[in-house]
Amino acid sequence: MRKLLSLVLLAPLAALLLGAADSKNPELLVFGAASLTESLQDLGKAYEAKTGQKVVFSFGASSDLARQIQAGAPADVFFSADTAKMDTLEKAGLVKAADRREFLSNALVVVVPSASTTKIASAEDLAALPKIGLADPASVPAGVYTKKWLTGLGLWDKVEPKVVPMLDVRAALAAVETGAVPASVVYRTDAAISRSVRIAYTVENGPPILYSVAPVAASKNPKAAEAFVGFLAGADGRAEFTKRGFLVRDAK
Amino acid sequence: METTDLSILFLTLRVAAIATLVILPFGIFAAWVLARRDGAWRTLVETVLSLPLVLPPTAVGLLLLEALRRSGPLGRLLDRMGVEVLFTWKAVIVATAVMSFPLLVRPARTAFEEVDPRLLAMARSLGSGPVSVFRRVALPLAWRGILAGTLLAFSRALGEFGATIMIAGNIPGRTQTMALAIFQRTQIGHDEAALRLVGVTVVIAFAIVWTTELLTRRRTRRTAA
Repeated sequence: MRKLLSLVLLAPLAALLLGAADSKNPELLVFGAASLTESLQDLGKAYEAKTGQKVVFSFGASSDLARQIQAGAPADVFFSADTAKMDTLEKAGLVKAADRREFLSNALVVVVPSASTTKIASAEDLAALPKIGLADPASVPAGVYTKKWLTGLGLWDKVEPKVVPMLDVRAALAAVETGAVPASVVYRTDAAISRSVRIAYTVENGPPILYSVAPVAASKNPKAAEAFVGFLAGADGRAEFTKRGFLVRDAK
Repeated sequence: METTDLSILFLTLRVAAIATLVILPFGIFAAWVLARRDGAWRTLVETVLSLPLVLPPTAVGLLLLEALRRSGPLGRLLDRMGVEVLFTWKAVIVATAVMSFPLLVRPARTAFEEVDPRLLAMARSLGSGPVSVFRRVALPLAWRGILAGTLLAFSRALGEFGATIMIAGNIPGRTQTMALAIFQRTQIGHDEAALRLVGVTVVIAFAIVWTTELLTRRRTRRTAA
């Protein structure tokens, strides 16, 4: 019985010690916008093959990832689908402003299931749909861009009641794939990775879309974080993003 | 996805096991004290300890987030000690431990209450101190209820979602447990991959509930006799 009791008392301690062992793994943790999933995963593998540095990712809505970094999440690099989230973090001193790079752009498209006969000839046609999947326009970049675009056309008030807000742009894509909504607004690069949707409309003259990447100030591995940002903005990164359909600009 | 079903399963089992082990001594202690006290204080403590059962898990998560964020009361202390909790595996432990705690305490308390007080008095009259009475009489008699509570707490820890996603996020390979992975895979339209994980959880849940059922049933029969 005494043995059992001491076991019960020592177990939590042992468990904590056991857990502490994996806290010093040298992996680089990158928080990336959902729309970058495939390109960053491929670039992570290429980077590991090239340098031996392992890179792991957490993908999600840039707004959600930024919020997690603000709360102290142990990310090394943040790649946002807009500049606003990065500005917020920069103002709070949470990312390294000097190493911030902005070279990636994208376009908004309306996707429908491949077999759908829905025709969208203009932005006005969106208001006629029963439902539209959209990354949460209150905070997620893809939704914010869409809202800005429709507000500029004076159509947001008509479209808003039809909007089904989603966690991120990939959830909006998946909703069309599964037929949960008849159409969603996503990035052109998202539409490109799906076989079960087709682009029904491409947004022209939408708001400028600009991604932003920077090392996180609190990173315990600052050199590696800076090097990886450099790799993403360098020739290898540009080639991959171009291949995936992103618009690559001169690095700032 | 880079993370395999197996690595998600191991991560989940590991954090659930650690969380259960962490709350075990505190839970048993709380159950023992509550079983032997009466009055308004006991009711108050009981109520507070049971809140995670009744509150929405996201509400518990937000309270934990406020407490643990860098500017929060606990967060400042941890920051000074150089301990990172939020959005690491430790946050998963914190969330699941808090959510599972009442599930351990309740059956354990009932088990302690069922221990015949005359036996405890007898042990005391034979010269046993309070620690010895607890260890050599109460604990051996109540172990079945404690074990049932432990299994319940463990199963809750395996499936916790709401509080976990609030304070640990959904980081593959680090904080992504089965429940979170099922959610994430469904979100991105990988329903088949999500269903595979659901299959695994069904098997685990079945085993746990079956075991708990066997344990509690035998205990009831004994008290009825």
